[in-house]
Amino acid sequence: MPSAASPPINGDLPRQFASRDALNTLLAQEFPEAEGELSPIRGGREAAENKLRRIDARSYAKSRNHLNGAVTGLSPYIRHGVLSLPEVRDAVFARIRNRDEGGKLINELGWRDFWQRMWLDLGDGIHHDQEPFKTGHDAGAYSRELPADVRAGTTGLACMDGFRDQLVSTGWLHNHARMWMAAWLVHWRRVHWKAGADWFLEHLLDGDPASNHLSWQWVASTFSHKPYFFNRGNLERYSDGHFCDSCPSANSCPLEGSYDQLENRLFAPMPAIRETGNNRNQQRQRRSSGGASAALARPKR
Amino acid sequence: MTFQRPILWIHEEALGANNPALQAWPEAPAVFVFDTCWIQDARISRKRLGFLYENALDLPLTLRKGDVAAEVLAFARRHQADGVVSSSAVDPRLEQIGEAIDAELPLELLDPEPFVELPRPPRLGRFSRYWREAEAVVWEGYSAAR
Ligand SMILES: Cc1cc2nc3c(=O)[nH]c(=O)nc-3n(C[C@H](O)[C@H](O)[C@H](O)COP(=O)(O)OP(=O)(O)OC[C@H]3O[C@@H](n4cnc5c(N)ncnc54)[C@H](O)[C@@H]3O)c2cc1C
Repeated sequence: MPSAASPPINGDLPRQFASRDALNTLLAQEFPEAEGELSPIRGGREAAENKLRRIDARSYAKSRNHLNGAVTGLSPYIRHGVLSLPEVRDAVFARIRNRDEGGKLINELGWRDFWQRMWLDLGDGIHHDQEPFKTGHDAGAYSRELPADVRAGTTGLACMDGFRDQLVSTGWLHNHARMWMAAWLVHWRRVHWKAGADWFLEHLLDGDPASNHLSWQWVASTFSHKPYFFNRGNLERYSDGHFCDSCPSANSCPLEGSYDQLENRLFAPMPAIRETGNNRNQQRQRRSSGGASAALARPKR
Repeated sequence: MTFQRPILWIHEEALGANNPALQAWPEAPAVFVFDTCWIQDARISRKRLGFLYENALDLPLTLRKGDVAAEVLAFARRHQADGVVSSSAVDPRLEQIGEAIDAELPLELLDPEPFVELPRPPRLGRFSRYWREAEAVVWEGYSAAR
């Protein structure tokens, strides 16, 4: 481990720790307001390289939508530049025998690059609704507060409480879990996406306002043509029934139903969509004036 | 702009050895600052701080906490630096901190290696549009070992 380049003076934070517990204690002293404990996911180059070595682009393509699929877990390291996107791209190239094998994973790295470019373009505009909701509900119909039972993980839905526990204890969630949780919070609980997005950023080790806020907006429909939603069958399939089997609400599951039934239940008939002046006016001048006409195809249903 | 004795400001988008500032100035004193305002306002949890901390420990950095611009400038005075070098950031918060530093002491920003270098800025708004322009260029870097 390299040592600090300059001799320490008063106020420098320590660089030597006898153990991870000692780091935990130091953080509790220095940042008493920061809640929770350390994540089992470690920072640093070695941990990142271990994950990089385990990339399996072929199984990734087949299984990435499953909670136990061969996803890479690289997002925290990429987000903080421990690994650069070109480095991960080249690691994928080195492991595949033809272009088909790497197509899906390279595509996802492209998503990361795309959201970063959108952020450069929109600046702090990503914090605001990019477009009106396409749910038939007005923005004002969504609560601005994260409900206490969601924060505490006591909603009685085994899936959502399980995702909350994983989010809070590890700081990482599978993409599909993020989508389900966002959709449930916005469309079933009628909470504004920003409340959920800010809560995610408290915890995600890969917490990135661009990927996070714009994905939430995609789910909510303020950055897409239509809201993303799902049903119990979809969640059960991609989680191998893991949650439903032990769910106290299994017989009164709000996620149960066909897509048509849920659509009728969750969304109001849409008034004609007006092109209202929107928050893009709040973009900072320096950033490109180019129109970001929203409507993304991410993440897939 | 060439500095004689710069310090490096390492921020949370570039906590890796491939940080272009660290690569260009491997001997220069470097600092990472935990942004206490951001941590409080955004209710950042301890696990995120621990993750940042462990990444930072892998690099030859001095670690501080507080007002980032003020801490970076104090670090520059401590080393009698004539400038600050950093990597360009996407986050507007980091950009604003950079501006505050630059108002007191010249700041030079180096670009990290891009994922894909396109001949002209791609059309955004939709991923599909961007990817139509970018995908082939990304794959130019791949030569199948047959
Ligand atoms: C509501 C919601 C919030 C999200 N918030 C974040 C966030 O704060 N930070 C973040 O990095 N990602 C976010 N994502 C995107 C995605 O869920 C994560 O990047 C991914 O799950 C990380 O796991 P992984 O590294 O195993 O990904 P893999 O599937 O193994 O993908 C490899 C890498 O590609 C990039 N990537 C993959 N999918 C996406 C995507 N949809 N958007 C952007 N980049 C992607 C990531 O850097 C990832 O590490 C969010 C998605 C949703 C639906």
